[in-house]
Amino acid sequence: MNITTMTRQYITERLNNKVREDGRGMLSYRGITIKPGFIPNAEGSAEVNIGHTKIMAGIKIAVGTPMPDKPEEGSMMTAAELLPLAYHKYDAGPPSAEAVELSRVIDRGIRAANVIDMAKLFIEEEKVWSVFVDIYVLNYDGNLFDAGTIGAMAALLTARMPKYEDGKVIREGNLGRLEIINTCASSTFAKIGKTIVLDADANEEDFSDARLTITTDEKYIRAMQKGLGGSFYTSEVEGLIDTSFEKSKELIKRIKEAASGD
Amino acid sequence: MEKLELLINGKRLDGRAMDELRKISITASPIRNATGSAYIEWGNNKILAAVYGPREALPRHTADPDRAVVKCRYTMAPFSSLEEHGRPGMNRRAIEISKVTKEVFENVILLDLFPGTSIDIFVEVLQSDGGTRAAGITCASVALAASGIPMRDMPYAVSAGKVGETVILDLNKIEDNYSDADMPMAINPRNKEVTLLQMDGELTKDHFKQAVEMILKSGEAITKLQKEALRLPYEKAQERYNR
Amino acid sequence: MKKLVTPGEVLSDKPLRIDNSLVEEGKTISTIMGMYDDQTSSLIPIEGLWYPRPGEKVIGVIEEARLNTCNVALNAPYKGIIILKFSEVNMVNNDIIEATVKELDKTGTIVLSRPKVLYGGKIMAVKPSKVPRILGKENTMITQVSQSTKASISVGMNGLVWVKGGDVDLATKAINQIVEEAHVSGLTDRIAAMLKSKQQ
Repeated sequence: MNITTMTRQYITERLNNKVREDGRGMLSYRGITIKPGFIPNAEGSAEVNIGHTKIMAGIKIAVGTPMPDKPEEGSMMTAAELLPLAYHKYDAGPPSAEAVELSRVIDRGIRAANVIDMAKLFIEEEKVWSVFVDIYVLNYDGNLFDAGTIGAMAALLTARMPKYEDGKVIREGNLGRLEIINTCASSTFAKIGKTIVLDADANEEDFSDARLTITTDEKYIRAMQKGLGGSFYTSEVEGLIDTSFEKSKELIKRIKEAASGD
Repeated sequence: MEKLELLINGKRLDGRAMDELRKISITASPIRNATGSAYIEWGNNKILAAVYGPREALPRHTADPDRAVVKCRYTMAPFSSLEEHGRPGMNRRAIEISKVTKEVFENVILLDLFPGTSIDIFVEVLQSDGGTRAAGITCASVALAASGIPMRDMPYAVSAGKVGETVILDLNKIEDNYSDADMPMAINPRNKEVTLLQMDGELTKDHFKQAVEMILKSGEAITKLQKEALRLPYEKAQERYNR
Repeated sequence: MKKLVTPGEVLSDKPLRIDNSLVEEGKTISTIMGMYDDQTSSLIPIEGLWYPRPGEKVIGVIEEARLNTCNVALNAPYKGIIILKFSEVNMVNNDIIEATVKELDKTGTIVLSRPKVLYGGKIMAVKPSKVPRILGKENTMITQVSQSTKASISVGMNGLVWVKGGDVDLATKAINQIVEEAHVSGLTDRIAAMLKSKQQ
């Protein structure tokens, strides 16, 4: 499909009457499935579906050099690919600003929540483990931020920890898990006209004026990102923070359940 | 490279016979946004293929006023291999595989029907274990059939190779690394036309003939799986309402 | 006997003239996935693309309205164009329109005539191969959906369906069900039953 299927007038009228196209509540998620361990070759992986949005998160862990300011800690790098097979508007080529923002917002939440115990990733002087988180978008239908964070978390929670012996990386056999000390999740809201919805699908994102992602763990807000040209009032943001904590709690539970089943 | 024994007591390391395929399963239409798509698990390979189009060929100068142009992009996810973190996107190997894959489908798509447009085929290797180009072509073939783009046949691909003096079918990663020859082929099953042929290593003409025989024989099974994948969603829907 | 065929399958050992097939070495070959009936020699596409034919109705979205012409997105291999001197309708970008195919010109543009703006409502995109089922024999299916839901519905041969007013959600549900079960027999009765059960 390569056309906008709804007029702005139609969608705002429906939202003003508190009706979403798929019959959901304004602050409800679509169905979410989390399948960790999809790619056994990767140290960790997870496929996440939110409605028709489908992403794959993959974790590779490799030996690298530490960041100059943190010589005794490991590192994490997050990248997101908006694959051209996922949507007619995505094209091949270097990462778009959209993809870079997506990867940085996911990265920031996980980093700020201290999900990985970075000190444990020290090997020896000038050698640490680097954790690569790759978010692959396979079908786009809105809300890549939450899908990406769920995928990254589920993949990290189930990741194997390679060993470093005699200058060689051992990735198979009897390995422990990557040590994870916190879990976070994000909630992304879209504002269309005056209405705010959670987990916008592609049609709703098409007409969104503003977007807000709030990443929390069970205690703190860990990252926020407002996007697009529109605006939120601070009172609205305060309300959305409450909603985020509530939703994150549920999502974190779901992520942990999925991960423990792997 | 250190030599590794690939054949022990007449069996391959994974227990297969010389002319035995790995386990293959194909699902049609996993990607909702695409005109057509397919997912294949071939041994430990996990590959997605999606087709978009025919659509306006962009940039404009790539369009052919007399026929559709086929574009193909084969890429491997950075987490797809058991080794190091890969680089996303196209390297020289991916560019070549994309080109030969494109040529397989140029042969079968009825390009004259859609002049000025492009048909875009994307092959994404999520997990690799040898033979990804062949698995990718087999998968993309199902994606094209599911898209409704007219084709005069539904190609499949598989590779054969050689260990010592023994010809083997469908090399996995470790066999590919240590074998004496590898030869992927794509075939139009109806007329047995060859639309992709690559080879490296050492083969006699006799080895080649044995390899072709294995490839053609295994093709019957692969074609059957492709057709079943396409029929399944419709037969399921019919079954549900027959009850 | 009807059977499900895939591209490349031999339909007949004789050369026959059948839509969506071709003749190679005297044999008739299917080029698509479809349902083949060897009694009537007809091949009905299950998956197929839309190829514009003069006189067909389409639904589209105005992409670029200019002084003399309008470019129309049709969710098809080709773009539509409306040459404005032939019509009095005033169109702006993002308007949903209904129009008739005049021709596919040599530059690969679908020339449209008799445009009519459809105000409000939404578009559903379906596979063009399912459009005949949505319409039904002599439009019986779509009339049934429209009457039961009080929705205005316009179906384009290009696979875009415009829906407005009445019970939009029930109409959407019915159309989705038709698309999903297009090749399962007894469709008309099932849709009638579904509409009836949901009508209150």
